[in-house]
Amino acid sequence: MHWLRTRGRATAPYGLGLIAVLLIPALLNVIPGIAPGYVLYLVSLALIYAIVAIGLGILIGHTGQISLGHAGFFAIGAYASALLTLRLGLPFVVAVLVAGSVSAAIGFLLGLPALRLSGPYLAVATLGFGLAIPQLVVWQSSWTGGSSGLHGLPLASLPLGAFTIVFRTDQDYYYLAAAVLIVLTIFARNVVTSHTGRAFVAIRDSEIAARAMGVDLVRYKTTAFALSALYAGIAGALYAHLLHGISPEDFTVLLSVDFLTMIVLGGLGSIGGALSGALLLTFLQNALTRLPVVHDFKNLYIVVLGVILILTIVFFPQGLAGIARSWRLRRATRTLDRPAGAGQIVELGERSGVR
Amino acid sequence: MTGPVLEITDLTIRFGGLVAVDGLDLRVNAGEIVGLIGPNGAGKTTVFNCISRFYQPDRGTVHFKGRDITRSGSHEIIRFGIARTFQNVELCRSMTALGNLLVGQHVAMRSGVIRDGLRLPGVGADEARATQRADEMLELLGLTGDRDHVVSTLPFGLQKLVELGRALVSDPALLLLDEPTAGADKQEIQGLADLIRRMRDRFDLSVLVVEHDMSFVMGLCDRLYVLDFGRRIAEGAPADVRNDSAVIEAYLGEPELEVTEV
Amino acid sequence: MLSVTPDILTDLPWGQLLVNGLALGSLYALTAFGIVLIFKTTRVITFAQGETAMFSTFVAFTLLTAFQLPFAVAFVLTMLFAGVFGALIERVVIRRISTTTVLNPVIVTVGLSLILLGAAGWIWGYEIRTFPDPVVGPPFHLGTVVVSQLNALIFLVTLVLMTVLFAFFRFSPTGIAMRAVAENRMAAQLMGVSIGRMNALGWGMGTAMGAVTGMLIAPINYLDPSMMGDVALKAFAAAVVGGLTSLPGAVVGGLLLGIVDSVVGFEVPELRNTIAFALIVLVLVVRPGGLLGRHETKKV
Ligand SMILES: Nc1ncnc2c1ncn2[C@@H]1O[C@H](COP(=O)(O)OP(=O)(O)OP(=O)(O)O)[C@@H](O)[C@H]1O
Ligand SMILES: [Mg+2]
Repeated sequence: MHWLRTRGRATAPYGLGLIAVLLIPALLNVIPGIAPGYVLYLVSLALIYAIVAIGLGILIGHTGQISLGHAGFFAIGAYASALLTLRLGLPFVVAVLVAGSVSAAIGFLLGLPALRLSGPYLAVATLGFGLAIPQLVVWQSSWTGGSSGLHGLPLASLPLGAFTIVFRTDQDYYYLAAAVLIVLTIFARNVVTSHTGRAFVAIRDSEIAARAMGVDLVRYKTTAFALSALYAGIAGALYAHLLHGISPEDFTVLLSVDFLTMIVLGGLGSIGGALSGALLLTFLQNALTRLPVVHDFKNLYIVVLGVILILTIVFFPQGLAGIARSWRLRRATRTLDRPAGAGQIVELGERSGVR
Repeated sequence: MTGPVLEITDLTIRFGGLVAVDGLDLRVNAGEIVGLIGPNGAGKTTVFNCISRFYQPDRGTVHFKGRDITRSGSHEIIRFGIARTFQNVELCRSMTALGNLLVGQHVAMRSGVIRDGLRLPGVGADEARATQRADEMLELLGLTGDRDHVVSTLPFGLQKLVELGRALVSDPALLLLDEPTAGADKQEIQGLADLIRRMRDRFDLSVLVVEHDMSFVMGLCDRLYVLDFGRRIAEGAPADVRNDSAVIEAYLGEPELEVTEV
Repeated sequence: MLSVTPDILTDLPWGQLLVNGLALGSLYALTAFGIVLIFKTTRVITFAQGETAMFSTFVAFTLLTAFQLPFAVAFVLTMLFAGVFGALIERVVIRRISTTTVLNPVIVTVGLSLILLGAAGWIWGYEIRTFPDPVVGPPFHLGTVVVSQLNALIFLVTLVLMTVLFAFFRFSPTGIAMRAVAENRMAAQLMGVSIGRMNALGWGMGTAMGAVTGMLIAPINYLDPSMMGDVALKAFAAAVVGGLTSLPGAVVGGLLLGIVDSVVGFEVPELRNTIAFALIVLVLVVRPGGLLGRHETKKV
């Protein structure tokens, strides 16, 4: 299983995560007083968002290309899979794969003009993209269901040789989302720690250096866009089937900002950061709805989002991943008594995922 | 091989009203170390940028090993065998020295996002080979101790050295160096001249170097071109150029560049 | 069928759409002008421009309704408020972040806009309100084209503001200093211009421009925390289409966007944002620096 091998000691958290994934449903069943179904639904949602966050992290964190419109790709994936299963009766698996590919293809296309757009222009253009997608959905109401959306999606299922797994319960779905997330996390990790990932980071650090070293910006920027759109598209497909229905209102600019906040909070350029940011934010959003004192949850949640964004950039530009890193560093310097400077240098080197 | 490695003919580029390079002819023969000197703003870096395709000249051609590269993309240049360093250092600042030397081998490695993502067979071997090659280069440059340091934490002089290493690992035929001595002290400058000559011999390089430090240039280069306001005002062996009246004129009022000092 | 022109095009009330589009475009232009002003002075593209404008418009609403101030007074007071507000944002937040990457300012201003959105909802609630009409009376008629009093006021305010700003940047020492900062920060600093003060001033003026848009568009549309969402997108598109580095570009872009928006809004109202997005991409692919902006060979 050479493709499962990841480098260095940062593997440990992933092992723990895997164990947690397997144990969570069992744990929920023994903890009294909670509804395991609902919690599992929520966790599944968080895992789906984590898929988007990882893809967006590759684009923004590693390649340095901003997107304020990833809800657009998420919507494309969701609508593609919903339409394919609902209207054409295609199997779930095929629908998810096609949805991911369609989203990736559109990501590639958006990457083309993006080549000519630097920082702020790209931010505005992607914002416009994110706003345009739900509008197009409403406009094409004859086959997208317009503003009322598409509902009654069939259950997700996975044919395995002679028999077929059907994902009926929240727990089934949870395992499905977790499995997809795990595969995509490993894939992303492999990409960012390899030749391709190095080219991405080179572009982020210095486009001039990257070009001089032979990195084809057209190829790698469009690859980064397509890859992150692929992730968002697959996640969108899973989302549509988790909810069994979608409508354009699910894909607002606020969702794009949610995705951005996840990776900023987690730490740009860190896959573990994107994961933890997505989980944390989804739970936070849910917890805020439960606060009895807050009547207008939407109100509070967006303020919290804004505060998180600003505080993170002002005080912890490396996000949670950065905090964890400096904490590890402090521990390491205490136990090994090695010079702090040297430690920091090695740790920083890991950040980019590039040795 | 016959013919020059690099041949520039009638190179001209304007920025607005300013003619930064004006009808320049320049050639570098195989194995030569050629210096490109001139006062500040003479257009030296601009010549480099035209060769490495960051700027599009308004007129003239650049041929490398007989091939016209005047219309090539900037990312193709290194594949042809031209590697460069930058006046103000363009490293991948968040990466380690090793990481930068791996980026330097970008075109030598097979690529593909799916291949990398799935860790298909061969990825690990490629990576190991590139790492080994990078380590050898670090060793050669005396940078082994800085291998795992993030380059933005290194002093400027070392950054320049990492940049040199990054250019060298790409296995170029022609090396373009923009002010390699910046950030180095007198002793290091001498060492650098030796290093460049050693690298030339070892890797069969031709070198075009822009430099302000005259003693360095005079000691290192086989031939010099002198630019002033984008025009070539002199060309020849260091000893001849040094006594050229046009050159002395151009450098008047630039005390740091005393040509006569050497 | 001999006619080549589709009926759709010939049937449009072009004159009316043009006038409406220019009025709308003036409003986009004002906000875009603010975005460009802030970008030129501080190199920050602000995604909070719509929300600062919305917040200021609520302030104006309070002055008009709770304090019963005349419109002109409320208008000027709100502009002052927005100016101070913008300068404060620059001082308290923007100055603290590193602007070496474009990412940081984008993220922080997006964060700001969320906070303002939430705060406005908190203070004034989410119900849709009507904003008092600044002017009442019969519309003017130019042939078949109707110009409402409000549109006339919009033209007037825009014209006056643009003239004042033109004179400010042309003749006043402060305006010239601001231009110097925009051209070359280092040189301006060496000449003794206080960069910090100019940054704050740029933010203040830019924010005030947005507030003007808010106060003049609220009577047309409605007043609620999300009132500026679409307007800000159009203003962005205007700024980008005109060229983020060009103040006249913002005006040209704004008017252009207004006309396109008015025509598209008449034909396929569902696609107004989509067209704005398409316009951004189209212009930038053809002219990466925008219509009037500069696109220089990047110095290597
Ligand atoms: N992208 C550009 N846009 C506008 N002007 C430029 C650009 N690049 C270079 N120039 C101008 O061209 C002239 C030559 O610049 P260049 O950097 O080539 O000089 P140089 O000989 O390398 O000087 P130095 O010794 O200071 O490095 C200068 O006047 C410079 O300002
Ligand atoms: Mg130079």
